[in-house]
Amino acid sequence: MRAETGDLLQGTLAILILKALLGGPAHGYGIARWVESTTDDVLRIEEGSLYPALRRLEDNGWVTSEWGLSENNRRARFYTITRAGRAHLRAEATVWFRYAGAVTRVLRSSPALS
Amino acid sequence: MSGKPPAWRRYVRFWGPNVDADVDDELRFHLDMRARDYETLGLAPDDARRAAAERFGDIHGIGDALRDHDRRRERGRQRREYMSDLGNDLRYGLRAFTRAPAFTSVALITLALGIGATTAIFSVVNAVILRPLPYPEPDRIVQVWMDNRRTGLHEDLHSFANYADLRDQNRVFSNMAAYYTSGYNLTAGCSESDCEPQRVAALFSTADLFKVLRVGPVMGRAFTAEEETSGRDGVVIISHGLWTRLFAADRNVLGRTVRLNGRERTIIGVLPPGFTFPNRDTDIWVPMALDPDSRQQRSSYGFWSVARLRAGVDFPRAVSDLNALGRRLEQQFPSNKDLGVYLVPLTEQVVGRTLRTSLWVMMAAVGAVLLIACANVANLMLSRAAVREREMSVRVALGAARTRLIRQLLTESILLSVLGSALGTGLAWVGLRVLTGLAPRDIPRLDQIRIDLGALGVTLGLAVVTGIAFGLAPALQSSRAAVGGALREAIRGGTGGRRAQRLRRTLVAAQIALVVILLTGAGLLIRSFMHLQRVDLGFRPDHLLTMRFSMPGAKYPTPQARAAFQATLLERVRQVPGVQDAAFISDIFLSATPTSTTITIDGREMTPEEQNVEVPLDAVSPNYFKVMGIPLRHGRTFTAADNLDAAQVVIINESMARRFWPNEDALGKRFRYGGAQSTAPLMAVVGVVGDMRRTGFDTPVRYETFRPHTQWVVGSLTLVARTAGDPLAMVAPVRAQFRSIDPEQPVFEIASMDRLLSSMVAQRRFSMALLGTFAALALALGVVGVYGVTSYLVAQRTREVGVRLALGAQPGQVVGMVVRQGMVVAAVGLATGLVGAVVAGRFMTGLLYGVGPFDIATLIGVTTVIGLATLVANWVPALRAAHVDPLTALRSD
Repeated sequence: MRAETGDLLQGTLAILILKALLGGPAHGYGIARWVESTTDDVLRIEEGSLYPALRRLEDNGWVTSEWGLSENNRRARFYTITRAGRAHLRAEATVWFRYAGAVTRVLRSSPALS
Repeated sequence: MSGKPPAWRRYVRFWGPNVDADVDDELRFHLDMRARDYETLGLAPDDARRAAAERFGDIHGIGDALRDHDRRRERGRQRREYMSDLGNDLRYGLRAFTRAPAFTSVALITLALGIGATTAIFSVVNAVILRPLPYPEPDRIVQVWMDNRRTGLHEDLHSFANYADLRDQNRVFSNMAAYYTSGYNLTAGCSESDCEPQRVAALFSTADLFKVLRVGPVMGRAFTAEEETSGRDGVVIISHGLWTRLFAADRNVLGRTVRLNGRERTIIGVLPPGFTFPNRDTDIWVPMALDPDSRQQRSSYGFWSVARLRAGVDFPRAVSDLNALGRRLEQQFPSNKDLGVYLVPLTEQVVGRTLRTSLWVMMAAVGAVLLIACANVANLMLSRAAVREREMSVRVALGAARTRLIRQLLTESILLSVLGSALGTGLAWVGLRVLTGLAPRDIPRLDQIRIDLGALGVTLGLAVVTGIAFGLAPALQSSRAAVGGALREAIRGGTGGRRAQRLRRTLVAAQIALVVILLTGAGLLIRSFMHLQRVDLGFRPDHLLTMRFSMPGAKYPTPQARAAFQATLLERVRQVPGVQDAAFISDIFLSATPTSTTITIDGREMTPEEQNVEVPLDAVSPNYFKVMGIPLRHGRTFTAADNLDAAQVVIINESMARRFWPNEDALGKRFRYGGAQSTAPLMAVVGVVGDMRRTGFDTPVRYETFRPHTQWVVGSLTLVARTAGDPLAMVAPVRAQFRSIDPEQPVFEIASMDRLLSSMVAQRRFSMALLGTFAALALALGVVGVYGVTSYLVAQRTREVGVRLALGAQPGQVVGMVVRQGMVVAAVGLATGLVGAVVAGRFMTGLLYGVGPFDIATLIGVTTVIGLATLVANWVPALRAAHVDPLTALRSD
């Protein structure tokens, strides 16, 4: 992982992918692009780990895949989030918010950072 | 983002995904898209492509990882799909079976019985007959008997001098050993005070025995020839079983001493586990130390002998060499007149000719049952295939793939076979338990019987192949004939192929023939057994308790000491409440090789034949004949006055009286044991008793001589007690009387007379029960076969019958027609079977008693049974056919 993009833990990558798929079926590149545009390029998905992560999600039954045609009429594998995937995303998001909130509170507490 | 891809795309890769290409496609798509985006940002196409690749990272490594993963996933998916297809086929098959419960249960039972019975019996035969003895090259070992032409006993015992001559002068044996067996009171492994002596079977042998058997001790050493002299023979070799039982497998057992009949002997060896000789009861082996006198004895017979053939010598050559040697000895020594040599291969000796024959008969019988079972399965499968022919052709017409149909039929056949095999295996296991439970204990190697996996494999294979072959063959045929033929036949309501019909009828006829053979065999055995049961034993066998005891010479050295013990014992046993009377005899049943001797009659010349007659000798107490219920024909029984100081007396049986004094009164006549030079005391005949069969139901009555146990005081006696109630309930109180006199005196061979007698016919009963069971089984299977085929043919002809009835035929005529056709098949089978039965009967001659192999009564009985059974099996479906409603029948398609 590159230092300036922050550490993306594996679990976090899964959350991002699932969240990306909430908008509808997407291919791998679409997911990467969506994450980049949503976070203004702050979070860049490490493309090497994107596809293995998708396989893991598929093995867990959180996404399914199907071959289809892309917007420019090319054959592409589209991923769809499943019902189980949505439930998993909700649970993970709750954990994330609690964690992030806690860290934020710690960082905001006095004395100030600088 | 794009919308959902069109559904038809799913079917593009109809023959399953191409995993590698998919991974490449997906990754290339990603790179292409990224490059295109870079291009829109203003990069040159080449730069854009390079930047995209750089941004992606290790594309080859990731591609490989994805391909691995996807391939694994694809394999798993295919496996699951296959299993689910198989599951479907199996479920369909099971449903088909439940829709045809009669077919299914008959097929399953048939398969299970065929497989189970065959495997169980073959396992017994294999363990008892086919497995070699536990010695190296066991087929090179022969039992050497004295052929006693005086008594007609081929398997008689040698005198030691004769044995020594045979051993030294033969040119065909590498080693030859002599031995005899005896019981021993053994004291070991406990302190003197609390020692309960046990009875062990011992073998006394020359040192060569272990060379003949080529088995040596696993610990210690075998005997040496020097130890065959008295005084140096204080050694003993023990069995592995005794070593573990009595000495807790102590490695330091060598050099320890045991007391045998009061004499100390040093343990010098332990034999390997599994070693048995001459039978599995023998636990100790002792050197045979004879004094020089006994070694010279040529007319005292008491020695068994085994020998090993020298390399390059075959059995026939050994026989001719030993026969020549026997003749030479006969000429050389007058006492050897009419004595020869008789060789039997040890493997044959151990199993015994009768048992061998009966086991082979059993094998043939189960083989027949298996064939009948297979014929039944074949018939069932054929009938079922014919019934489903229309279903199949309709499915073919509707476009079902032929391979799919065959796969379904194959699945069903295999499913049926597997279910039947599982049941059969279970049955084999249970059957084997029952068999070994029922089997007489003297069958050798009974304890080694296990389910024979080879036999199980063969029978399972046969059953499965039959099921599949006959299940599938018609299917293949019908699917090849395809839509046209079968559908047309369906429309016409045909009766199935002529060829198939002929095949079915042939199978039924063959089944009936086999059933006839089995029934005849069983009938002959049953008639033999009935003849045996009617044999008059000459005594009352009920309510008799017998037990043996043996008084060590060291403890009771004089006849007076033994007589005192015996008198006290008899008195005390008779006082036991529940015991009506008690008596002694030296041996309750004569063995095959009894202690016997020639006699010399006082006061008249004896013919040469008379001089060679041998009579067994027995010591009995005065009330023996009363206790046993043996009638006294003339004279008197013994009294207490016939003691050591009184004149020598003897009682003989009627057969003996007739043989030596045919036209006169035997009473008062005098004779002595032994030949003309004998110095044995003269004995006066004081009584003649009725004949009794003491060697078994199926052997002739022998001559007998009884002497008072108070004049001939032997150390080993059998106590016979007549009880008021169950004899075995009296064991404890009677035994207590022994202990009250001598706490160290063991008692053995405790049995009721009923049980002794039943064990004498145990093998016969066993054979009869087995063959009877098989015959019943075969009959049941055969009737099912006949019934099934007739039912099927009738069902197929419903339409024809309907037409006949509509045209005015009487139901009776229809029944007659159907039954007639069925009975023609039955008659062919019956005739073939009767011929086969007469041939097969000749092989059973050795098992029969009182009937010949060609027994008209049995054959008539079998014919009647088969006739009635097949008549019923044909009649019932015929009746059903005759009562169909013509209109329904015509509309039946």
